[in-house]
Amino acid sequence: MSELFPIILDASSYILILVLVALGLMIVFGMMGVINMAHGELFMIGAYVMVMAQGLGLPFLAGIILAPLVVGFLGLLIETALIRHIYHRPLDTILATWGLSIALKQLIVLIFGPESHSVALPIDGSVTLGAFTYPIYRLILMAVSAALIGGTFWLFVKTDFGLKARAVIARPDTAATLGIDTRRMYRWSFVIGTALAGLAGALVAPIISVDPQMGLGYLVPGFLSILVGGAGPLAGVLVGGAVVGGVSNLLAVWISPVAALITVYIIAILIIRLKPEGLLGGRRAK
Amino acid sequence: MLEIRNLSSGYRDALVLRDFDCRIAGGRVTALMGRNGMGKTTLLKTIMGLIAARTGTISFDGEMLQNLSTHLISRAGIGYVPQGREIFDGFTVFENLRLSLLGHEGGEPLPIAQIYDWFPILKERAEQKAGTFSGGQQQILAIARALIGRPKMLLLDEPTEGIQPSIVHEIGLQLGKIARDTGLGILIVEQNVDMVRTLADHVLFMENGSIRESCDIEALRRDDSLLHRYLSV
Repeated sequence: MSELFPIILDASSYILILVLVALGLMIVFGMMGVINMAHGELFMIGAYVMVMAQGLGLPFLAGIILAPLVVGFLGLLIETALIRHIYHRPLDTILATWGLSIALKQLIVLIFGPESHSVALPIDGSVTLGAFTYPIYRLILMAVSAALIGGTFWLFVKTDFGLKARAVIARPDTAATLGIDTRRMYRWSFVIGTALAGLAGALVAPIISVDPQMGLGYLVPGFLSILVGGAGPLAGVLVGGAVVGGVSNLLAVWISPVAALITVYIIAILIIRLKPEGLLGGRRAK
Repeated sequence: MLEIRNLSSGYRDALVLRDFDCRIAGGRVTALMGRNGMGKTTLLKTIMGLIAARTGTISFDGEMLQNLSTHLISRAGIGYVPQGREIFDGFTVFENLRLSLLGHEGGEPLPIAQIYDWFPILKERAEQKAGTFSGGQQQILAIARALIGRPKMLLLDEPTEGIQPSIVHEIGLQLGKIARDTGLGILIVEQNVDMVRTLADHVLFMENGSIRESCDIEALRRDDSLLHRYLSV
């Protein structure tokens, strides 16, 4: 029993980070019909902000605060220069943001080089509970991720901003005729989505190797989570993330990473075949 | 006063309105009638900025609207109730109203209490999901939602479509009362002759993208040959 605990905790922390990444993707997709292929790179840049912050001798917390600010600002630039010209044209957004992802990756290679970097753990201890020990930072990571996910849900479900955002998702034209500035809502939702990716990158930086290719490793399962869970209600990401993250993480430990990937794809294909709208349904009926 | 000059507008290759001119007086109810496909909905959508005007001007109490985005047109005092109502099904009645209140923050939106006073059913059902409403109740909600922005001119696109006659009459009477009490101007696109007779002061007939004829409601009550000509009733 006691050897199960660390495995389940590992899977849970992976799921939470995956949900955090997918949540940003989904806000941007659900709201603007933008499939942001550069989302993984924004996540990566968040991790590099942390690398840089540590290189400059700044405390860990400074990196955690800086990452979403820097990446969110980058999101604002991307929205202004690129995304706002291609709203609701999914195919064009794939091409444009894919190009952007390549450019961002090369930019990081130019600045930091192609090799991987590591970030020191801010807290080095571990917790011992009976027979098993677990790093404290991973527990903190889980708690912070869960709080961020909860906070994002609260923002979109309980606040006035969320009411406007959901209205713009459901009926953008009608929302505009009621005086809602839809462009502004698009912009700030995009910035929130990118800032979340940056923050997620900074949070996981101490437990993974930070390199220019790391974005893809989260982008693909992030998209799979949305497909599996359904792109309608925000809660779809939770279900999709749990299925995709849970299966891939647990099987990778018990069998092999390859078997895990194969199983995740088979599950995704089956769900898409049998329930094309995803487990919790597609974009909510208007 | 809503004044439209030389307006051209339409979809992709199809121009629906060509050099369209008309004036809609404030503070009274103008009905716009005509068969399907004559450009009535296109006109309302162009006024709201949902379809871009290609040429021409739309001025409202001296303010030029044709290059403004939709939310600014709404804030300039034009309310809009679209065809099919387009309420937010998944939101409660209160959230639908609240949304309009948020859209007009910074202006002087109507308190929701006033809306509840005019339409008590919305107060009774404030926490109910709007999607569970009947067509008539949804229409009342859509009108109430537009009124929250305290518009000076309300555009209504076929408000009686698919609604049972008893509620149509009720909506007509209530809207007429609100217009008289508040000085609200209304431009209503309507095929339902009873609704037009209940509510309108003035009637415009539209054909092939332009206004062909106009008359006041008394003239229409005396002689309905215009209805036959432009609506084939």
